[in-house]
Amino acid sequence: MQLDRNMRILIVDDYATMLRILRNLLKQLGFENVHEASDGKAALRQFETNTYDLVISDWNMEPMTGFELLRAVRANPETAQTKFIMITAESATENVIAAKRAGVNNYIIKPFTSEILLGKIEAVFQQQVA
Amino acid sequence: MNTAEVIEDHIPDQAEQLDARADDAIPLREVIAMAEKVTSALKPLVRSLDKSMYRELKEMLDCIEELRGDLSKVDPDDIFSRRIPEMGRELGAIVSATEVATNSIMTIAEQVVDADKSDPQAYAKFVEQHMMAIFEACGFQDLTGQRVTRVIQTVEVIEERIGVLCRMIENNQIIPNAAKVSETEKRNRTRLVKGPAKEGEGIDQDAVDAMF
Repeated sequence: MQLDRNMRILIVDDYATMLRILRNLLKQLGFENVHEASDGKAALRQFETNTYDLVISDWNMEPMTGFELLRAVRANPETAQTKFIMITAESATENVIAAKRAGVNNYIIKPFTSEILLGKIEAVFQQQVA
Repeated sequence: MNTAEVIEDHIPDQAEQLDARADDAIPLREVIAMAEKVTSALKPLVRSLDKSMYRELKEMLDCIEELRGDLSKVDPDDIFSRRIPEMGRELGAIVSATEVATNSIMTIAEQVVDADKSDPQAYAKFVEQHMMAIFEACGFQDLTGQRVTRVIQTVEVIEERIGVLCRMIENNQIIPNAAKVSETEKRNRTRLVKGPAKEGEGIDQDAVDAMF
């Protein structure tokens, strides 16, 4: 399956450095249409005026976590189908289970490589085809 | 020995006489004599009471002295006004140093990625120069390592002092309050925020992948 490299991606992290790392990695992987938000609330505000094909979000953010963002995105019929990948240092099994139950499409544990990132993006969009 | 026992042991005759003369007027001198006898009979009791009270007060004083000694070892002023703020500053400096270094390295990497590659020789020279800047930026590790060491030392001092407090609590010298959970901790529990797992804890990417 050919990935659409022009898909609209929203990356969400409260660390500007992490946003920069993600943006650069995605750019190296060929994804240029990347947008940023500094936490869950900021991401939701962007959803009010934009649509995204994929959200890549950190978990631990203030004032709204990635987990809360995920639930809000899934609760809204207009955004419910948006692909969602969690990239986080939260590696407790209960976190992964909670995220999966809330509808996350994939889960990446920090630290991660560009190879893992690409693999998960591909997996998420292959789920759609399957 | 209590007062009643003392009276019973030392002045039974006088007591019986008084009982027998209950209806008669008792002369003042006899009352005074009786009072003197009672007073002298109570002296050993008062002396023994003095000794036991003195012993108990001395024990209390020793306890207070010991507590004062232990509390001075805890030195809360030093912890809260110096050590914890200092630790906060060190950690803040670590965050800043790593942020500056990461941004420097990333800026260099961005410049290398975006550089004109049409002239291989010029490009090689450009990359070489920028690699040197990356080496320089990596120097942050030495400084942050030293800062982390200082934080660890401070944590050890605090740990030692908390140990003193714990021993005092074990000896029932202090009644501990129920452990208080901060608002942030409560919120983090409901939001499933625990931060990075320690070595050997949490699950790895393969385990996560298996769940998907």
